[in-house]
Amino acid sequence: MAEALTKRFGDVVALDSLDLTIESGEVFGYLGPNGAGKTTTIRLLLDFLRPTSGSVRVLGRPPTDVSVRHKIGYLPAEVRLDPSYTGEDVFRFFAALRGVVDRTRQTSLCDRFGLDPTRRIGELSTGNRRKVAIVQAFLHGPDLLVLDEPTSGLDPLLQEEFHRLVREESARGATVFLSSHMLPEVEQLAQRVGVLRAGCLATVTDLDELRSRARQRIDLHIDGPADAAVFEGVTGVVEARADQRVVHLVVEGSVDGVVKAASRVRVHRWVTHDVDLEEMFLELYR
Amino acid sequence: MIVFGRFIRDRRRGLVGWSLGVVVAVASTLALFPTVKGQTSYNDLIDNLPRALRESMGLSAAVPFTSGPGYLQSRLFSTFLPILLLVFAIAAGARALGGAEEDGGLELVLANPVSRRHVLAGRYLGVVALVATLGAVALVALVVVGAPVGALDGVDRAGLLAAAVAVVGLALLHGTIAFVAGAVSGRRGPAVVAGAGVAVGGYLVQVLAASSPSLHAVGLLSPWQWLLARNMLATGPAWTALVLPVVVSAVLVVAGSTVFEQRDLR
Repeated sequence: MAEALTKRFGDVVALDSLDLTIESGEVFGYLGPNGAGKTTTIRLLLDFLRPTSGSVRVLGRPPTDVSVRHKIGYLPAEVRLDPSYTGEDVFRFFAALRGVVDRTRQTSLCDRFGLDPTRRIGELSTGNRRKVAIVQAFLHGPDLLVLDEPTSGLDPLLQEEFHRLVREESARGATVFLSSHMLPEVEQLAQRVGVLRAGCLATVTDLDELRSRARQRIDLHIDGPADAAVFEGVTGVVEARADQRVVHLVVEGSVDGVVKAASRVRVHRWVTHDVDLEEMFLELYR
Repeated sequence: MIVFGRFIRDRRRGLVGWSLGVVVAVASTLALFPTVKGQTSYNDLIDNLPRALRESMGLSAAVPFTSGPGYLQSRLFSTFLPILLLVFAIAAGARALGGAEEDGGLELVLANPVSRRHVLAGRYLGVVALVATLGAVALVALVVVGAPVGALDGVDRAGLLAAAVAVVGLALLHGTIAFVAGAVSGRRGPAVVAGAGVAVGGYLVQVLAASSPSLHAVGLLSPWQWLLARNMLATGPAWTALVLPVVVSAVLVVAGSTVFEQRDLR
């Protein structure tokens, strides 16, 4: 898909000789912290940007070939649409441009996400605007879905619905390119994951491999004085620190060892933290 | 065609508002004509004005202010109508691509199977159609209100049509400059500045050139000079005023399209 793909903006190297191939029909997670070059990659795929050097092919064709976009559904990270359009206006306009009008699918997608397509974009909340963007991306049953931070701004129930939709499309044979800075999102959908950092691909692995290397932060609130010694030497624990009544742990891979060790103390609260990717993949990045 | 249709639908409300404004402006100007018609004292007053000032008002000794052609030229065709249409054209041109890209609305459109060239062409034709429609509204208002008050007496019919087309041409040329600047920069601000800057600069050049015969050649660079060199209402169509804006606009759009197709979107 991408070969030695490089994009510079002035002196800033946004993407540095990226080599990446996505298999047809897979769900590929494209993971990296904000500013790593994920959106730049996507904008190159859609021909909004032109490579400084190297090349990209999308569904076997260069992105400059307009007809490729018949088969692409794009969900941008930040939804920006003319505020005077209604959802209906957007769907009609895009359907006409694509030459595919499927009212039944439009209605069923709107119903699934509880979207009223007669309201103007300008009157909609961020979450509802995102729904408009989701419906337009899936409307024409594309072969390739390019999803940039797809569930940011969606409430958990709708995130679930969205994940179901992606799984259905994947089962139908669509290829999914899922970009995110959140491991949990990618984890639920992707089979294979590429980790991007500062414009370079740090690794491409399958999800199990990634899970075994990902770190998480756990705080255990103990009844009584906390003692970190209980967790020292337990499988997976890379850091154990006690602070009055709380034990702070950093665990790599499975937390099974920690769960078993915790049975020896009285835990009354178990708090896990979303760790950002930088921290999560210390190993990979080193 | 889809892009064009969508663009017109998006802008129709604005066009209706502007049309009403133009009709009111034209009608109220013409309503005053009977108070001026044939009043020779006005002519004496105007004859005493400095030549540069007189010419900047679109008046010449041969066509008195108190005649239909003189009144229409000085009150409508020399500044008022061109400026109204020009402001409309610059705003529409700047918004069509530069503004749309800056607001981010363009990106999702271009994620569809439609080329940048196609979107540019559709939206440019949209701007042309909007400005032409507003010009037509002004002309119709002028004829409908002007005939009963006698403002069309002595007006060359072909010249009137040509003058209206030439005003649209002037407005469109500046709308094109704004459109192309927007296509190149991807922003609204530079687009407006380019369109308005050329309009003001061109107007000053035309006024200066009219004030001194030695500067006449410089004046030929100004689109205003193309429009105002002759009173078409009295003397019939002037081809420079009709052809030059179209030629320059076409060259600009082709050049702008090439840049727009090759650059990165913002």
